[in-house]
Amino acid sequence: MPVPPTITDQQVESAAERVDPTLIRVRDLIYKVCGIYLPDNKFYFLNDRCDRRLKALKLDFLGSYYDALTTGSDRETEIRSLLNEITVGETCFFRNPQQLSALRKVVLPKIMESKAKLSFTRLKIWSAGSSTGEEPYTLAMILLEESASMLKGWNWEITATDLNDYSLAKCREAVYGSYAVRNTEPYYLQKYFQSQGQSYALIPEVKNRVSFSRLNLHDESKMLFMKGFDAIFCANLLIYFDGASKRRTVHHFYNGLMPGGYFFVGHSESLYGVSDEFRLVHFPGATAYYRPSFWEEVSDERPR
Amino acid sequence: MSVPVDEVLRSRVKNLEAMPAMPAILGPLLKCLDLPAEQIEIEKVTELIARDKSIAAQCLRMANSALFSRSSIETIRGAVITLGATRLRDILWSSFLIRMAPRSEWPLNPNAFWEHSFGCALVSQQLAKKIGLPEPEKIYLCGLLHDLGELVNSMLLPDEFRSIAERAVRETISLYDAEKQTLGFTHCDTGNLLAERWNLPSDIRNVIQYHHTPEQAIESAAFVAIVNLSDFLCRLRGMGYGYEEMCVIDFQEAPAWSLLRKSVPHLENLDIARFTFELDSEAEEIRRLVATAFQT
Repeated sequence: MPVPPTITDQQVESAAERVDPTLIRVRDLIYKVCGIYLPDNKFYFLNDRCDRRLKALKLDFLGSYYDALTTGSDRETEIRSLLNEITVGETCFFRNPQQLSALRKVVLPKIMESKAKLSFTRLKIWSAGSSTGEEPYTLAMILLEESASMLKGWNWEITATDLNDYSLAKCREAVYGSYAVRNTEPYYLQKYFQSQGQSYALIPEVKNRVSFSRLNLHDESKMLFMKGFDAIFCANLLIYFDGASKRRTVHHFYNGLMPGGYFFVGHSESLYGVSDEFRLVHFPGATAYYRPSFWEEVSDERPR
Repeated sequence: MSVPVDEVLRSRVKNLEAMPAMPAILGPLLKCLDLPAEQIEIEKVTELIARDKSIAAQCLRMANSALFSRSSIETIRGAVITLGATRLRDILWSSFLIRMAPRSEWPLNPNAFWEHSFGCALVSQQLAKKIGLPEPEKIYLCGLLHDLGELVNSMLLPDEFRSIAERAVRETISLYDAEKQTLGFTHCDTGNLLAERWNLPSDIRNVIQYHHTPEQAIESAAFVAIVNLSDFLCRLRGMGYGYEEMCVIDFQEAPAWSLLRKSVPHLENLDIARFTFELDSEAEEIRRLVATAFQT
């Protein structure tokens, strides 16, 4: 009879156990510093992006790269460079379908229901850090789709802001390459774009629905004027802020929202430890942050 | 209300004998594995598993999933030695459950029931571990079997179940709500009937009965609460029943959360967002496991 020392209750081993522990530390560092979480199935991707930085810095080992990220004199710049590698080329139309579906099917109906009770018929949405315009124009297309039905009789406006003048110029031009429309269904391509050779130009009906302006999110006095929004989108931008300025900016976003409004960040971005005011809400495949409303009735209708 | 519902329920599922019985070897096996670690007889366990060829084969397939072990396992004896009693018991149950109902009777995505069951088992266990619940491995089976009643419904009430599934898909609501509206009782009730018949431990039965109404659970409250939250997380992160369900939830407002707060100090420190993101790679692994389990 063999001694059974091996009959002990092993824990579930995840794929992470077979990954270079330093890579896990890089992943956790990124989450701690920026709030972006790369799940285990993104390790290959993360490894690849770290490799690019290793080459750029002429380093041989991930361990030395981790040191560069944590104790090196240029660590802040290096984290920024790594983040650039991770988020590069992410922008496109309809980038986050599940988030958009949450907006269209849950968030808008809910907000409109409570506003209608107060005889308000106006919606305001803000795309903060709109980059070259894909996000605010996507929102405009979604709202245009609803304008004859759900949004009938409602006024709505989309404000888009960015710090970069070059990006803002691209927004106003509203002509995009095929890479930007890689997630766009033919239905939307045909309805809202005109092809110009290799490019796709948005039709005026969409262009006119978005107003663009230059805004630095660190500009406290200007941020105070950004008020009365029902939903704010700010994807993959706060990740570049340090802890204090992130908290300050998120607080401004909170104040910029109407009670009952929603704040959407990037797909795997978290505000853990950044805000005590917002409440995390889960939608199918998406998360958002909610500013509770004071007049909201306590409902017994909970999901089951 | 409860009396008529109960009567309707019992008359509707009087055919419970038509449900598969627990396989003959499962009872003695579970008894063997329930002994304290130093008393478990590896040879006896190995021999019992080997008696049922299909369970043995299923067992090996599951044991080699990345979710259960790191090394490759080639023999039943190897599985018994490397996996440990609890894990082995989980795998035995999983193997049994997988072979219990033919996939063709399931009106939704054929792998969905198992993906959801395995998903919920895994997520429950990880959540229990993360919040520091004692003996987190005990919750795995509760998660695995929480929706046992869906199998009962699909087998004993196939026509109704089909229309319930269609309704849930059409209205993007949960199966629970669709059952309530169509039958007046739910998979929680029918699952509990079968669990009674199978003589399952009380923790598992409480989870089966109350995982949609955790505030009603009198015993096993922490387990019920964790499975309730994990069930939501699975349905929200691609381990649901394979259809689009418009489920929206604020975990910290959920009844299960306040229930759990009573037994778990520092629950507020749990980073729910991160835990949610972590699940996205689990979902992939689960799909792979289910696909492997159904290889013939």
